[in-house]
Amino acid sequence: MRGSRSGSRHLAAVGFFITPFAALFALFYLVPIGYAVVQSLYQVKRTGTFGPAHDVFGGLVQYRRVFSDSPFWQSVERVQLFGIVQVPVMLGLALILALLLDSGLVRGKRFFRLAFFLPYAVPGVVAAIMWGYLYSPNLSPFTAFTAHVHLLGADLVLWSIANVVTWVYVGYNMLIIYAALLAIPPEIYEAARIDGAGYFRIAWSIKIPMVLPAIVLTTVFSIIGTLQLLAEPQVFRSFSSAVSSTYTPNLTVYATSSVPNFHLAAAFSVVLALATFVLSFSFLKFTQRKGVQ
Amino acid sequence: MRRTLAVLLLSTLSITACSSNSSSSSAGGSSTTAAASCAPASGPVTLTFTSWVPDIQKVVDIWNQANPNIQVKVQTGPNGNGGTYQNFFNQLKAGNAPDLGQIEYDALPSFRVQDGLTDLGSCSEVTAAKDQFVDWTWNQVSFGEQGHVYAIPQDAGPMAMFYRKDLFEKNGIKVPTTWQEYADAAVKVKAAGGYITNFSTGDPNQFAGFAWQAGAHWFTNDGTNWTVNLTDPASSKVAAYWQDLIDKKLVSAVPPWTDEWNNAYNTSKDWTWVSAVWGANTISSGAPKTSGKWAVAPMPQWTAGEQAAGDWGGSSTAVFKGSKHPYEAAKFALWLNTSSEALTALNKAAALYPAAKAGTSLPALSEGVPFYGNQKIYDVFAAASAQVKPDFTWGPTMTQTYADAGDGFKAAASGTGTLLKALTDAQASTIKTLQSQSIPVKG
Repeated sequence: MRGSRSGSRHLAAVGFFITPFAALFALFYLVPIGYAVVQSLYQVKRTGTFGPAHDVFGGLVQYRRVFSDSPFWQSVERVQLFGIVQVPVMLGLALILALLLDSGLVRGKRFFRLAFFLPYAVPGVVAAIMWGYLYSPNLSPFTAFTAHVHLLGADLVLWSIANVVTWVYVGYNMLIIYAALLAIPPEIYEAARIDGAGYFRIAWSIKIPMVLPAIVLTTVFSIIGTLQLLAEPQVFRSFSSAVSSTYTPNLTVYATSSVPNFHLAAAFSVVLALATFVLSFSFLKFTQRKGVQ
Repeated sequence: MRRTLAVLLLSTLSITACSSNSSSSSAGGSSTTAAASCAPASGPVTLTFTSWVPDIQKVVDIWNQANPNIQVKVQTGPNGNGGTYQNFFNQLKAGNAPDLGQIEYDALPSFRVQDGLTDLGSCSEVTAAKDQFVDWTWNQVSFGEQGHVYAIPQDAGPMAMFYRKDLFEKNGIKVPTTWQEYADAAVKVKAAGGYITNFSTGDPNQFAGFAWQAGAHWFTNDGTNWTVNLTDPASSKVAAYWQDLIDKKLVSAVPPWTDEWNNAYNTSKDWTWVSAVWGANTISSGAPKTSGKWAVAPMPQWTAGEQAAGDWGGSSTAVFKGSKHPYEAAKFALWLNTSSEALTALNKAAALYPAAKAGTSLPALSEGVPFYGNQKIYDVFAAASAQVKPDFTWGPTMTQTYADAGDGFKAAASGTGTLLKALTDAQASTIKTLQSQSIPVKG
């Protein structure tokens, strides 16, 4: 009797604490996602050239359009290529910077920690405009270089964008890895030093394995971020001839919704979300099987 | 599992950005053919009006002071394709659009096809105003249909040629009057170390103006079907002409509306710009170092002695579906675009070139302009305005058509395609987009 009463009180407390979260979660996550999925299953019907539109159930007709849209799949390939190169470079840099900060070799640790992190505080659009100016063949302060190497041309612009993204996010990822480094108990280092390990040995055999979960986490975030590239290429569209309106998957979604073709845009979004999910999930599975965690 | 769910949720966030604020399904029900009733309200009325004209508030203040019973609240936003149209479409879907909005002529069909415009055909003041506007602008807002009016014309963008008078004189180059002479001059300008102009990559509107002048008909609507023809003979001719200049590297290809573009004019690298009347301010603000050295001549012609002009831009004031006060909204829109006090204020605030015939005689539009060596440049545009071909029709998904043509133009400018291919591709994708919106189309 007593047990069951305390159990129901317990349940009530759980309900009390969960309700605000559940309500907001449902309102801002589940409902919009459900709405997008529903929208993606409809299509527009009308009669005459200016006839009013009616939404009718279309089944998977929008998805058929998505899968036959070659610019969209080209853009998916493009961001994958981008991710395969940019994510390891960025996280490698972030790891090196974090290890340097943690090594005790540098003075002014607090200054550098802030300095590396600072680009993250610059809004992505502002960063893209600033770099676009630096890349410009005629106006850049480095025209001696940019006039000859076309950083905004079709061959290089993807990597010019990668450079902007790296510049913005290295510090952020460094901070996550650095926080993980600080959590390693110092006794382990002591033991290692007694065993004769130097800085590099400690970094390689102790620090990196112990912060691997943080690196996996930042990788997942980066994969998601890469597939959802929008702000930087959108800004670059205005000053590069090589960035089209369907350059990344999210730009395609944006362009489709401004037609406006909400149903097709919703289908693009759902497919993009699923692709992101599959990639992130397979990366996690892959690392788990390797016994990382 | 929780983490994977979170990943899924995070990644689906992007969907919500474009579709979350719609609550009702399509605004079906009422038919577009029936004009809305146009009766005055019994009491005081407050209207909302969204526009991106700079300093529009000052113009509306004049109205608000004189009309205590019809107060207009201004909301401003970025230019149409820069975000305001997207907002309008979202608001229309959600059923909370403003009473009035600024819409460019090329976007009017898109809004009509989404059933977003109130037909003001039953407002007698509106239909009576027809003769006050330049013919082709009225055609744009009435879609050439008798007794139907979907917006009030505001401004127009008749095109002419801005050119560096000093450089042409100094180098003894004849100011071109035909496109053939323009291409010949381009060779001489190149020899003198400049470019005759910059080809507007990524912004196909200028090209549309060229095609318009040449007699192109990109879209036709026979009532049952749309026909898309971006590659008609006139457009193909214009595309081949500019492709030739691009191939011979006689034009620069800097992205338009950038500092780099301003710089090309400011440093006298580019010598002419065939552009709309509003371009006068674009040059003077972008290339201040060249003040006094410019002049304006009519657009080069395809046949010597011909008098044809294209149009680039221009907006209207539309009353959105769902407005409870179409009578008052129409009254305000008419005042805004026909009264001399409003036209003068609009011209002062944003250098708008009125679509109303009377507007062309505004004092501000009959004076010499110092930046152009005190030439009375607006006389050239007044003549051009009368020469704009009246039968050019825009398609119902221009945002997409522009984006796809622009992508192709960019490719052409960077040497990986041609302008004609860009038009062919844009035509195919436009037909596909119309079909996906279930808009009847031939082809």
